[in-house]
Amino acid sequence: MAAVFLDGICKSFVPGKRVLDELSLEVKPGELFFLLGPSGCGKSTLLRILAGLEKQDSGSIKFDGVEISSLPPEKRQAAMMFQNYALWPHLSVFENIAFGLRILGVSGKRLKEEVTSALEAVQLADCADRRIPSLSGGQQQRVALARALAVRPAVLLLDEPLSNLDARLRDTMRSEIVRICRSRGQTAIYVTHDRQEALSMADRMAVLKDGKISQFGTPRELYERPANRFCGSFLGDINFIDGKVENGKLITGFGTFPLAGSVENAVCGAIRPERIRFAAPGTAGAFRAVITGSTFLGDSAEWLCRAGECELALKEIAPAPRCIGDEVMLVFDDGFLIAMQ
Amino acid sequence: MIFRRVIQYLLMLLLALFLVMFLLLPLFTVVGEGCDWQLIIEIFRSPVYREGLFNSFAIALVTTGIVAMISLTLALLYDRYDFPGKEYCSILMLLPMILPPFVGALGFQQILGYYGVVNSILTQCGLSRIDFLGGEGKFWSVCVIEALHLYPIFYLNLITALGNIDPTLSDAAANLGANRRQRFFRIKLPLLKSGFLAGGSIVMVWSFTELGTPLMFGYNRVTPVQVFNGLHELDNNPLPYSLVVIMLTVSALIYLLMRKIFSTPSGAAAVKGTMGSRAEKLAGWRKFLPAGAFLLVALLSVMPHLALIGSAFSLRWYDSVLPQVFTLEHFDNALSNPLVLPSIVNSLRYSALAMLIAVICGTLTALISSRWKLRGAGLLDLLSMLPLAIPGLVIAFGFLGMTAEYAWARAIFNPVENPLWLLAIAYAVRRIPYVVRAVTAGLEQTPEELENAARNFGAGPVRTMCRITFPLISANLLVGGLFAFSFSMLEVSDSLILAQKSIFFPITKALLELSQILGAGPASASAFGVWAMAFLAVTLVSAGILMGRKIGAIFKF
Repeated sequence: MAAVFLDGICKSFVPGKRVLDELSLEVKPGELFFLLGPSGCGKSTLLRILAGLEKQDSGSIKFDGVEISSLPPEKRQAAMMFQNYALWPHLSVFENIAFGLRILGVSGKRLKEEVTSALEAVQLADCADRRIPSLSGGQQQRVALARALAVRPAVLLLDEPLSNLDARLRDTMRSEIVRICRSRGQTAIYVTHDRQEALSMADRMAVLKDGKISQFGTPRELYERPANRFCGSFLGDINFIDGKVENGKLITGFGTFPLAGSVENAVCGAIRPERIRFAAPGTAGAFRAVITGSTFLGDSAEWLCRAGECELALKEIAPAPRCIGDEVMLVFDDGFLIAMQ
Repeated sequence: MIFRRVIQYLLMLLLALFLVMFLLLPLFTVVGEGCDWQLIIEIFRSPVYREGLFNSFAIALVTTGIVAMISLTLALLYDRYDFPGKEYCSILMLLPMILPPFVGALGFQQILGYYGVVNSILTQCGLSRIDFLGGEGKFWSVCVIEALHLYPIFYLNLITALGNIDPTLSDAAANLGANRRQRFFRIKLPLLKSGFLAGGSIVMVWSFTELGTPLMFGYNRVTPVQVFNGLHELDNNPLPYSLVVIMLTVSALIYLLMRKIFSTPSGAAAVKGTMGSRAEKLAGWRKFLPAGAFLLVALLSVMPHLALIGSAFSLRWYDSVLPQVFTLEHFDNALSNPLVLPSIVNSLRYSALAMLIAVICGTLTALISSRWKLRGAGLLDLLSMLPLAIPGLVIAFGFLGMTAEYAWARAIFNPVENPLWLLAIAYAVRRIPYVVRAVTAGLEQTPEELENAARNFGAGPVRTMCRITFPLISANLLVGGLFAFSFSMLEVSDSLILAQKSIFFPITKALLELSQILGAGPASASAFGVWAMAFLAVTLVSAGILMGRKIGAIFKF
């Protein structure tokens, strides 16, 4: 399985307006790599450039150290699972999957075995002779996945593959894709705008904004140590706490707190709602706050609190009964208040 | 990748070269030959030619009027209602298109002639005979026959335009209190302008320059027939060329005028969506009305051909409602005429070759403009659609002028020695637009992503085309080819003008020659017409069988 190396990819469709701006990226062999970003950030364009369906204006693409920028799409071995599946309506399920294999020269008994095993991998073994229009959306999506897997590509490209499915099927397919990619050691690049999908499936991921990589790393790194406000809020709810940053400490109207991580020119702190907890009076680092709002969610509750001049959102699992206007003590989880620009 | 672009541009260059040589050059030749101011002034001074132009224009106006009435009614019925037999209505539309009006004229005389069917009915009812085909009657007969042949073109354009109108636009008007009539005149009709423009201009130019029908009726005071008759003295008289130039100018003016009248502000009808059908279901006996209208029009348009069949089988059909004595003699006569069998073989050869050329050029044009998106594709597309706007007579004359003027043209296709390539190319050039339309429609209905997917799975451009693109648009390719073939088989202008020796005559010219033989001529011509129609029907039906259920796709563009 190939390693993917992108360096300085630029692309603009309208002169002067770059969709991708000097983008560089490295994907390790066998890795399930996610590109996450809001719509219009260039993530699908990047995938199409990798597949050779668009040509970058500049920059280089290497698969396992070999430059492939000048190769036409059919020579790249970067099988893609298209967002709308792009299954050929005039061919049966079997023929759709066999298409790529036939081009690789596979035929006869082996062809049949390979197609069958690809179909089994997506649990559609009994659908080989069906016609594409007779399949449901979920089945079509799995055929598209099987077609891409069957050719055992150097890199598997997935373009928002689950976006057309209902919530339940999406959950099943998430774990299926992860299972198949892991068991094969398949290098895969997966594009999505769904943060849950990225966080739950990725080995590593990159957040894209305006054609640039905002940050990349493991899901945990990105979630817990976002490098900037955009990454912080794109991956989940987050509190930004204004104050003065001095010697790794955040000085606010309601207390002084140690900051994790160091960022140049940090001007505030940031912390996720579930990392703020209610505390017993006298707990070290605790500060006083007043509850100003509440949303009860059953297994959890979201509280809005005011501490000094600052609004804080916090999330409590197995919530205790509280009322708006109650005075409470809060504490930040150690190491989760991070410095931010 | 650069190599492929180079090949694509090379193909485009070849195609452009072909179109320039066989479309623009003939046009240029005609204009060059005919642009003699003195001759043109002379034409306008002569009352005979003035009358010819006036009559042609009147035919164009009346024909277009009749066509618009027929097709608007049918199109609205089709769009508005769900009725039994709706799916067959589109097939019915195919009928008049494959029956040449030229052949129909033969049968028409049998129906409306002084001793024809209608007059026989009249006398039996104790009324006096009416001379339908004398004097003014000829004019109206030509208009009706042409209208019954051309209405499907207008109809198909209207149906397309109706399909592109977002039904919610009409709903919005209803929501604001507009009643059915107001919605029709204020919303639907204005949005249909594009359909009127496309269909109307083709029908008008077509009927303005139609040669075969007036020729068959012996209606000689129209410009196309005057041009044709002037052909015999072409060596010393360049007048026909000037007439053709005038016809070309009038055709261009018709287009400009139509465009001015029916111009739509850009984006006005841009609301497109795949809405479900909003057609109403009719209840009770009313549900048979729409299908009845379709059937009636179709019946009217095949009436002349039915009469043709009748007279082909009858020994005596004179002053009686139905043929009197049946016989197969005319069929024998027709086949024994030395013109007939070779003309069938000739037409087959010309048309098959023409189809091949038209399909290759048309498919290439469609690929260049809707897939490869090369620079200058728009211009090429325009150029390939041009034949729709240029009368067949003009192009035929251009070819004739080319063979007279250029030695190389004489060498490749000499109309006297062997007009195979000449006729095939002349046929093909004018059939390219049909193929371009059919194939472009197919390509646009097929997501490009399907081809991208094939490339992504390792198929090269050629294999992608053969395994994915062409199978997906196979119906459109077949339809384009079929149209090109059957229209070539029935072609009149090029055939009459460019086939000069009797051994090279195609079906249409042999038919005309045969009908002009005194005595048994018209009867054997009818029999031959039946042969030709039967032959064409067999071709079309077998193609239909080959295509299976895809035949419906003919009408999707």
